[in-house]
Amino acid sequence: MRRVISTLAGAVALALASAPGWAQDKVIKFGFAEDFTKVYTFVTSEYNQGQRDYLALINERGGINGHRIEATVVDTGNEPQRGIEAYERFKAEGAVLVDFLSTPVSRAVVPRALQDGINVLTMFHGRSDAADGETFPTVFPAGALYWSQAAVILKYISDQEGGNLKGKKIAFVGIDSPFGKEPLPVFEAVRDKEGFELQTFFYPSPGNEQSSTWTAVRRYRPDWVVIWGAGGGQTVSLRDAVRNGIKLDRLLSVIWLSETDTQIVGNDAAKGVLRFEGVAYGRDNPVIKAILEEVYAKGKGAGDEKNVGSSYYNIGVASMAIVVEGVRNALEKQGEPLTAEKLKKGLEEIKNFTAEGLLPPLTITAQDHQGGGYGRISQWDGSKWVPKTDWIAAYQDIVMDLVKKTAAEFKKQ
Amino acid sequence: MFYRLAGVRHTTYRSARQLYPIPFDRYLLYTIVVIAIAAPFLFSPLTLNSYLLPWVIWSTAALGLNLLMGWAGQVHLGYAAVMAIGAYTAIHSVRAGIPFEIALILAGLASAAIGFVFGGAALRVKGLYLAVTTLAMQSIVDWTIVHVPAISGGSQATLQAPTLRIFGWPIESDAGRYWFALAICAVVTSFLLNVSRTSLGRALVAVREKDFAAAIIGVNPFKYKLLAFWCSSFIGGIAGAVLAFCYYRAVTPEQFHLEVSIQAVAMVIVGGLGSVLGSFFGAGLVLLAPIFLNNLVNDIAVALNLPLHAEIISHIPLVLYGALIVGFLLYEPLGLAKVYDNVRNYFFVWPFRHARH
Amino acid sequence: MDFLYELAELSINGALVGLMYALVALGIVLVFKASSVANLAQGALVMVGAYLTWASMELLGAPIWAAIPLGIIAMFFIGRGIERVALRRMIGQPVIMVIMLTLGLEIMLRGLAPAVFGPVKKRLDLGIDTAPIIIGSIFIDKAYLITGVVALALVALAALFFGTRQGIMLRAVSDDQTASWSVGIPVERAIGISWGLAGVAAAAAGILWGSVQGVDWTLSLLLIKALAVAILGGLDSILGVVIAGLAVGILENVAPVYLERIGIAGTRDVVASLVILATVIVRPYGLFGREDIERV
Repeated sequence: MRRVISTLAGAVALALASAPGWAQDKVIKFGFAEDFTKVYTFVTSEYNQGQRDYLALINERGGINGHRIEATVVDTGNEPQRGIEAYERFKAEGAVLVDFLSTPVSRAVVPRALQDGINVLTMFHGRSDAADGETFPTVFPAGALYWSQAAVILKYISDQEGGNLKGKKIAFVGIDSPFGKEPLPVFEAVRDKEGFELQTFFYPSPGNEQSSTWTAVRRYRPDWVVIWGAGGGQTVSLRDAVRNGIKLDRLLSVIWLSETDTQIVGNDAAKGVLRFEGVAYGRDNPVIKAILEEVYAKGKGAGDEKNVGSSYYNIGVASMAIVVEGVRNALEKQGEPLTAEKLKKGLEEIKNFTAEGLLPPLTITAQDHQGGGYGRISQWDGSKWVPKTDWIAAYQDIVMDLVKKTAAEFKKQ
Repeated sequence: MFYRLAGVRHTTYRSARQLYPIPFDRYLLYTIVVIAIAAPFLFSPLTLNSYLLPWVIWSTAALGLNLLMGWAGQVHLGYAAVMAIGAYTAIHSVRAGIPFEIALILAGLASAAIGFVFGGAALRVKGLYLAVTTLAMQSIVDWTIVHVPAISGGSQATLQAPTLRIFGWPIESDAGRYWFALAICAVVTSFLLNVSRTSLGRALVAVREKDFAAAIIGVNPFKYKLLAFWCSSFIGGIAGAVLAFCYYRAVTPEQFHLEVSIQAVAMVIVGGLGSVLGSFFGAGLVLLAPIFLNNLVNDIAVALNLPLHAEIISHIPLVLYGALIVGFLLYEPLGLAKVYDNVRNYFFVWPFRHARH
Repeated sequence: MDFLYELAELSINGALVGLMYALVALGIVLVFKASSVANLAQGALVMVGAYLTWASMELLGAPIWAAIPLGIIAMFFIGRGIERVALRRMIGQPVIMVIMLTLGLEIMLRGLAPAVFGPVKKRLDLGIDTAPIIIGSIFIDKAYLITGVVALALVALAALFFGTRQGIMLRAVSDDQTASWSVGIPVERAIGISWGLAGVAAAAAGILWGSVQGVDWTLSLLLIKALAVAILGGLDSILGVVIAGLAVGILENVAPVYLERIGIAGTRDVVASLVILATVIVRPYGLFGREDIERV
């Protein structure tokens, strides 16, 4: 009995004593409560590594006006209750920005964050209607919403068909979840405008087995196929598409398709597949090169060096580049110390920001938290992703209409 | 020394049959009740919101499941589906304008109705087959919620819970929500504390032990099994509604997946089947262990400067959580309630080692 | 005519997938036959088997024909180890405790394997190329064909095993443990062997499924499908596992396509649950299961 009590006491003391001592001055705190173990495993580790490496780069250079940025990283397992607990802890620690990289968790936390005034970054996930900065003042998608991604994909198809989509058959293969169904309003609106045929095919989550879906797709004989899944389902979609003889240069994917998927299917077998890209890929960028030289050369990288430059890693880097730019704006124009309110205003002052070529020109305003909805289409050539178009945005009128409509429903509650 | 029995005499049957005949037990209970009510003033908002509030609500849910698994002996791997039905019914009712108190009862009734159907399977099979059947029903309810937009709320699939209003007064503070959840928990707890003293409780125990023997002595096992499912689903529905309104303040399909069902069963088993106190302990451990393990592992990694990548660290709490369940089942199958019982027995005769009767 | 071809294609591919489900269910049936325990950790064991084989290929650099036996042997010992350490203490405990134990084991393995090997999806390459086999206008997935046939062969092997001396010993133990003790059959060893064989089945299933969909924690989700197959076929019948596997696989492939056309989308996963429900209501012991008569 005594032994039990003393071991417990020892463990508690160790835990308390090892609480990291935060520097009391000039520290900006971010909270990252992401899903490392459940649904988003395919993206989180590289995304988080990118985020932390960029912050390490900034800190190595002396921070912003002498302010260091510290990020607390926790796992939520895609469970909203753990996300809420993590959020409350971040709030107690004084975080000014949180990132969940999980749609259900961010949806559960957004009402609290709006009430408390803490900024939530929901890049390429979360509520699409959060682009409405007036209804969601502290939520920042800061990147192409899924609706905008669908629009860019459709614009590419339209350009490839010489601008005339009448009578063409487009097959939409998506995961049977709210995420998979999300782009449908855009697809249907553009279909009504341009006159193509749309047929949807859904496979159940997580999409380990899709052979019957793709048999049906093959029999539909589509001209173009769009896949809309995430994680393991994408790999299986790609594989089954190849096995069913779908031409890969007529297959487009949402942003969540990466080298991991093509590698599992076979780098050569996957040649030609297209995807939406919101952040530039590869190491051929001054920011990524700086990370390699200034962070990894000193052994301060947050993970495996071979992940640097991968698709999801770069998205992580870009997410932090945007936020750091917002911090910079806030500190310069509104002065120290940094609060969540000032960061919000700082983020809304970002104009034509490209993170030295990593991003399309991003402009965030108090009304538009999306930033323009730019993206481009890139193609897998057997060893890397090659951009096929410039940074474009399309059908933003349709997208913004949808944003306003769904945001209005949120306001009504 | 603590559990002084000297001077404790009962002159009426009523006092002899009290739930807590020993004064020390009563004082402990009063202290805990006082601390629970004063919690918003004693603890930080973080502790209140993230630890105490979900603990109270999940204890309610665990109590409901314990009624079914501990008292009636039926396996139920689909409890989260029952809670989901309660949560969605409550939210849709309040959005349609029904006052919250009635919506809460409606939520309970809706869950009870569907839980009753689940219970129908119990009439056919027992044990493992019942477990697998409830598992199947959980997936079906999951699927229905996601695929019927009228229930799940359309493309965004998140329904915001309207403000909690009791008799017309809006409750907006954390403390208010906590007190409401505490009140519901108190009602359910007192129901369960007394169940074993009623004929319902005795009938359930008879059915649990050997249902054909119960049939022989005149206790209808069909009726009582269905009744057990009905009652426990009612409690589950109310717990789900309270969870949606007080804690999450929004409802999404992911909140009530199979994982959550397994968590509920773990709470009941780790706590101790058939024990009210055990439900509280089990709920606390299963709910808070992953969070504390997460923080502990993170802190240890930082203190010892271990270069573990976040992905590895994040999996360790899952491993420890599974190991915790396995460990309890192997070494203390009667759960945390038995551990408490052992401690209590130790202090019962302290400073002596044993007592001569 | 095209309708018939489509139905044939869906059915053939479905049957092959069903055989792969049957392999996972084989593990559940083996354990249940010998020790009347439902091993709900079978999905996690499949995942561990896949990870171990991948690890011997990637980390030890073994070629494919060495990695597969390595993975299988490792899983045999892991299966026996689980029985030894965890299940033996639970003899006599109520069934819910044992179910919970296997669930706890499942959670633990689901955390351990990605923690040790990395959570990003891994490639398990069996060397089967992606070109389909085309008969008329029917595309048959080559990977599914090979893996389905292998699964069937393994199940047949298991059935043959039960005719050998060791197999008869296992059958005796599954029939009546006390009687087997009394005639001198080492019951603990038999149960241990059956768990080991379940581990082997899990390893084989893991290799096959891992090559088709990549290796990560989602392999453990095969549990629900395997349970549906095991229950439909009868928890203690190997023939039942094959027939039920075919049935569930075909139903799962064919029904959603036609249901989607009349407007009910995404029914694929519900099919397994509905199968379980229907079986339990109509014929709880499954198609070929032996009815357990409870003696008073």
